[in-house]
Amino acid sequence: MSVPNLPDELGDASRARLAALADVLIPGGSGLPSAGEADVAGPWIERVLGANPDLTGPVSHVLGIDGAPDEVLAKLRSQDREVFDGFAFAVGGAYFMNPAVRRALGYPGVAPRRMPAAEGEAEYYLDDDILGPVVERGSIYREVPA
Amino acid sequence: MGSRKDPADVLIVGGGTSAGVAAKHLAGAGFKVVCLEQGTWVDPGELPGNKPEYEVLGSKDWHPSPNVRGRREDYPVDTTDADLPVWMYNGVGGSSVLYGGIWARPLPADFRVRTLDGVADDWPIAYDELLPYYQAVEREMSVAGLAGNPAYPPGFEPPLPAAPIHRTGLLMAEGMNRLGWHWWPGTNAIPTESRGHEGKCVRYAICRMGCPEGAKSSTDVTHWRDAESLGAKVITRARVARVTLDERGRANGAVYLRDGREYFQAASMVLMAAGGIGTPRLLLMSASDRFPDGLANSSGLVGKRLMLHPYAVSVGVYDDDLENWLGPAGEHIGSMQFYETDTSRGFVRGAKWSLLPIAGPLEAAEKWTDRSSLSGEELWGEGSADRMKSFVRMLQWHVVPEDLPEETNFVALHPSLTDSDGLPAAKVRYRVSDNTNKIIDFHLARTLEAHEAAGAQKTWIAGRNFMTGHNTGTAKMGDDPATSVVDRFGRAHDVPNLYVIDASVFTTSTGVNPTATICALAKRTATYIASNARELEVAS
Repeated sequence: MSVPNLPDELGDASRARLAALADVLIPGGSGLPSAGEADVAGPWIERVLGANPDLTGPVSHVLGIDGAPDEVLAKLRSQDREVFDGFAFAVGGAYFMNPAVRRALGYPGVAPRRMPAAEGEAEYYLDDDILGPVVERGSIYREVPA
Repeated sequence: MGSRKDPADVLIVGGGTSAGVAAKHLAGAGFKVVCLEQGTWVDPGELPGNKPEYEVLGSKDWHPSPNVRGRREDYPVDTTDADLPVWMYNGVGGSSVLYGGIWARPLPADFRVRTLDGVADDWPIAYDELLPYYQAVEREMSVAGLAGNPAYPPGFEPPLPAAPIHRTGLLMAEGMNRLGWHWWPGTNAIPTESRGHEGKCVRYAICRMGCPEGAKSSTDVTHWRDAESLGAKVITRARVARVTLDERGRANGAVYLRDGREYFQAASMVLMAAGGIGTPRLLLMSASDRFPDGLANSSGLVGKRLMLHPYAVSVGVYDDDLENWLGPAGEHIGSMQFYETDTSRGFVRGAKWSLLPIAGPLEAAEKWTDRSSLSGEELWGEGSADRMKSFVRMLQWHVVPEDLPEETNFVALHPSLTDSDGLPAAKVRYRVSDNTNKIIDFHLARTLEAHEAAGAQKTWIAGRNFMTGHNTGTAKMGDDPATSVVDRFGRAHDVPNLYVIDASVFTTSTGVNPTATICALAKRTATYIASNARELEVAS
C-alpha cells in the first residue's frame, strides 16, 4: 500500500481514484450530480483538507488501498469504521461545498447568508391563535411547598 | 517566578460565562478585578459560520471538544471511561462562545428534588431566591422570547421580542396542538434587536460555532468588553497551575504559566470560574499540606457528582421544504410537556425538548451517519440523492434529559497525561444511569409521536449520548460542609474567601440548558460580595 501525502501530492491518478471511490458513496441522480461530476476530487477536497487537516489521514489511507472501489469501501465500513467515517465525511464535505450541489439541495448561497427577520414576521407565524390551546390549558408546573 | 506586584481585590480563575457576569458586576462596583484566562479573545473574523467551509471548520478548529481542537490552551480530557465526550471552549467568553444560545430557566421543583421526588438533594436555595438574578442577567444577555409561558410561574418576561418560529416551528406546533401538548416559541440569548455591543440576529443558524455577527450573547461580547472598560483586567494565555493560601488558610492568589514562565498574581479573594471540569481540576491541583486531598475538599466531593446531560435527538422527514437552515439555533420552539416527574412512567424527573434548525448538509447527513442513528438505511450509495434532497425537509427535536448526581461519575487528575504546560490533564468517568436512560427512551418515543402528529413521512431516533457542554455538579452547593463543597453563596466551606461561580456548584443538573442558571448564580455571588465587602474574609 502506498500512501500519498495529501493534498500536496494529489496527482491526476490519485484524483481519478478519489473520484471513483467518491462516486460509490455519491452516485448522483434525482437532479443531483455524482461526486465525480461535482468535482469532489478537484478544488473541493483541497478546501476540506485545508479546513480540517485531520481528514488527510483517512483520505490518504483509502487512496492507498487497491481494489474495486465498492469492495474497498464495503470492507472498510465493516472492518475499519473510523477510517470509513473520516473518508465519507471528507467526501461529503467536498460535495456539499460545491455551490451547484448546495443550490440543488435547497440551501441559499455558498454559505449561510444574512437573512434578518422581517418586520412582523414573528407575529405572522403566531396568527390564527395557534398558541391559544397551550394558554387555555393553563400552568403545567408543580407547585413547591414553601 | 515573576510577580504581578499589584494585588487584585478579586482574582477570577477562568474568563468564561460566569466570570464575565461576575467581572462586570464587581468592576462596576469598584473592585479591582484581574482574570487569568488560558485562552485568548475570539476574533469574530475567524469564526466559520459565514464561510463555505463552515461545517468542516466546525469539525476541527471550532469543534466543541477540546480533544479534537487540540489547541495550546485546550487541556486534554480523557474520556475513555465516559459514555459521551466532554464539550467546552477555552477562551474569553468560555463555552458561551460555542453554545447554542438556548435560554432556559429551571422550574421551582428542580430545586426540591429530594423533597418532591425522594432523590438526590434539594438545593440550599429556591427558585424564588434566584428570580431577581435571572431577571437581571436576562437583560444583560439580551434574552429574546415571549412572555406568558404556562410552563413557568409568573415573572418570566424576556426583555426582547421572540424570534419567528418559522415554518419549522409552525408545522410542529400544529402537531403538538393535535396532541394537546405544551409548546412555546423559543427563548434564546440571541438578540432580535441590536443592543449594546451585539448586532441583531441575521439567522445564519450556526450559533453553535460562534456568531460572526456578534449576534449571540456570549460573554466576550456581552460582558467582558464592558468589564474591561470598567477597569477589569484580563490576562490571556495565562494558565493557572494552583491557587495559593496565606498562613491562615485564606486564598491569596494563584500561580500561573504564561509563555513558559511562572508568575504569581496576588489577590484578596479568589473566584473559581473554570467550568465544571476545569474548576475541580484546579482545586485538586491546588492540594497542599493544609488540604492534602485538594483545596476546599474536606467533604471529598470536589470533582464528584459530575452531570453531563446526555442529549438525544429524533428527526422527521416531511413533505415540504421547511427552510430548516434558518436561525437562530437557538430553538425555534420548545416543550416542557413531560418535564415534571410522573412516577407512572417508571422513572423520576424529565427533560426539556428544543426544536432546532439544521445548520447545513453535513449536520443533516449526521442524522443517518451517526453510529447511534436508528435510521435503518445508509445515507451513502444507491438512492443517496433522494435522501440528500430530504435534508431541507427535516425537523429535529433535541431532548435534554436530567441526569442525577452520582459520586461514581467524576473528574479526577490524570495520572500521566498532561496539557501543553505539563500540568495534569483531566480524567472523566461518566456512565449514563438507568433512570437517565429511561428518561431518554420515554422522551424519544414521545418526540417520534410529535413528528408523526406533525405529518412526518418518516421518523427515527438519530442519536443519543451527544455531548452538551453542560458540565455540572463537581463542587456541590449545600448547607452542610460534610456533604457539600460550597455554601449557598458559592463560598467554599473550607476557605472563606474562595468562591466557585460556575456550573460546578449545581446541586442537581435540572433538565434544562444551564446557562441561565450559571449566569444567575454568578450574578448572585457577585452581588453578595459587593454588598457585604466589609464583612467578608480576605487574604492577609
